[in-house]
Amino acid sequence: MTKESVVTKRHLILAAPLAIAAVVLAACGGSSGGSNGGSGGGNKPTYKIALQAPLSGGNQQLGLNIAYGVQLAINQANASGSLPFKLAYTQSDDQGSPGAAPSAAQKLIDDSKVVAVVGPVFSGATRAAEPKFSDANLATISPSATAPDLTKHGWKNFARIVVDDNTQGPADADYIAKVLKLHSVYVIDDASGYAQPLAAAFISKAKSDNLTVKHDTATGTTQCQAGNGNAQQYGTVAGKVKNANLDAVFYAGYYCDGALLSKALHSAGYKGKFVSDDGNKDGKYVSQAGASIANGAYSSCACSDITKSTNPAAPTFVADYKALAHQDPSTYSGEGYDVANIFIQIMKGLGSKVTREDIVKALPSVNYVGLTKPVKFTSDGSYDGSAVYMWQVKSGKFEQLGEISQLVTAG
Amino acid sequence: MCFQHNFWNLAISGLANGLVYAMIALGYTLVYGVLQLINFAHSEVFMIGGFAGLFLLQHFIGSSEPAHGAASVGYVLLGTVGGAIVGGALAFILERVAYRPLRRRRAPKLAFLISAIGASFFLYNLAGKEFGRDSVSIPQPYTNGTVFTVFGAPVQTYYLVTAAVAIVMLIGLDRLVAVTRLGQGIRAVAQDADTASLMGVNIDRVISQTFIIGGLMGGAAGFLFGLQTGVVFTMGFTPGLKAFTAAVLGGIGNIRGAMLGGLILGVAENLSVACTSTKWSDVFAFFILVFVLLVRPTGILGERLGRSA
Repeated sequence: MTKESVVTKRHLILAAPLAIAAVVLAACGGSSGGSNGGSGGGNKPTYKIALQAPLSGGNQQLGLNIAYGVQLAINQANASGSLPFKLAYTQSDDQGSPGAAPSAAQKLIDDSKVVAVVGPVFSGATRAAEPKFSDANLATISPSATAPDLTKHGWKNFARIVVDDNTQGPADADYIAKVLKLHSVYVIDDASGYAQPLAAAFISKAKSDNLTVKHDTATGTTQCQAGNGNAQQYGTVAGKVKNANLDAVFYAGYYCDGALLSKALHSAGYKGKFVSDDGNKDGKYVSQAGASIANGAYSSCACSDITKSTNPAAPTFVADYKALAHQDPSTYSGEGYDVANIFIQIMKGLGSKVTREDIVKALPSVNYVGLTKPVKFTSDGSYDGSAVYMWQVKSGKFEQLGEISQLVTAG
Repeated sequence: MCFQHNFWNLAISGLANGLVYAMIALGYTLVYGVLQLINFAHSEVFMIGGFAGLFLLQHFIGSSEPAHGAASVGYVLLGTVGGAIVGGALAFILERVAYRPLRRRRAPKLAFLISAIGASFFLYNLAGKEFGRDSVSIPQPYTNGTVFTVFGAPVQTYYLVTAAVAIVMLIGLDRLVAVTRLGQGIRAVAQDADTASLMGVNIDRVISQTFIIGGLMGGAAGFLFGLQTGVVFTMGFTPGLKAFTAAVLGGIGNIRGAMLGGLILGVAENLSVACTSTKWSDVFAFFILVFVLLVRPTGILGERLGRSA
């Protein structure tokens, strides 16, 4: 045995992390090499449409709904064979949190093949990520971020295809006052960047509708990864709600915490109505709260029921979506599909040479008849329209009751 | 006004929260007593106890209607015991894998801390990967409703169940440490590990057993907590932090201190929000902690696992 071949235990300990690092590097190199090889197969350049959404965490379903819609649009566009380029899909997980959003955005910005981003999905995450996207001049269209201020920052690269909460909040207030004909409401928000302005818009309209309003904030819980609140707070909140003895609860927040609140209200013996927002409108709200508790709960949404759409393309979309996702299209699935198709339409117009700048420049002139609705943007990137729909849980499923302004007029 | 209106409601739910904090806090305090180490992975022991209870009840109750009478008691016991056993087992493994090798090498205290944090990250991410990242409700072993009222405030089944299980386990632990041979060992190691070893106490074994006892309490607490709020891989974080606070509040290393700290913290943070918004509860809870530590730096009952209980 030569002296060089003696390997001490200490050397082994040092060598282990190096070996792991080498393996990891090799694996990364291999995968990126693979994708390069794939794109080099044809003469067409490859561009990526990315999604930034909560893809893990307590509210991940709201991101997954959209992810499959985007993927479907990209698959269909590639399969059509009419593109002067190849499209690829990539995603970045921001967990819906403002804390994780900037680094999730950076990951997409650093990928030079990404020319357009669907998302971000949550309002707080959008507010945190957009300064980066704006600096990088990377176009983002959110299928779902509804906080009113998002279009007031002068981000030329940002637009959204849903009405904001200055429309949703007052619509909810009108619904409680004029359709349900109730007189008082307990407003609870989850302290997120989405829920606070929504609650504020709701309260100001509720007061002018002569509703008695009480307001409390129950910070989104760490359990739902929606804030740093404690899941046990809901017992306390429910006790306060029960004692206040008001007709309805309006919850501004997301489904994971919404379900915890509903359960606590139920066990506290609260018998009034439960009304919430688009963040609460997902089947997971029903499964986590339990159908018997969720039944009767209302949620408003700027989204309409795609399975009941009169659009002739809708049934095909529903079938294709199911085949890809193994789930029914849900909240904002159709909107995600539409946003991806808006980008694809812009890119087709640009031909085989697509740059981030050109897509941003094309945003103001978008005029697209989507699956869910015709889409145009106002000068600041807001959606040009006003429809908000009310949904209710019936026999364990969210069902669309109708457009709120029409229900109010009729009621 | 608002205080009178809500006082008993808040006090009752606060007591239930406090009992759960107390059960978790014991895990921190016991381990600190024998090792002078904050076992930050204890919050994951709590989480895994919740999952154990969930899987057991899912298996035995499934989606059928809530049980009644004796069956309810049986299911609660099943979930509690299952949560406790799995929690104890995980705590035992944690000690073997994350701490004992460091102790053998006489690693500095900081290394234990990093090992604890690493184990915590690993465990909750593993749970998220294996069990899914959505919150799952535990099938209800009883019909939750108001059993009786105290000054007009409803006392729900859940609070009674929590109180019954927690009080039995807390008293049991207190007696265990006070009178049994195992308890003597724990106290001896806490007082002076070197001397205890010279007197024939097997330190490794006592430390292992201490972790297991803490894990039993933490796992059962995870099940009780999950009954109300559902089970998810991140559920350990906030209760773990609060329980650690409770342990420090009562005097870290002191068993009765941890129980008292948990109860005070649970009730205080609940009552503090009677007249304000719920988002202020943490502000009040930590204000109390800072205030107590300013007046009594060793906590309400002081650090003294060795002599007390």
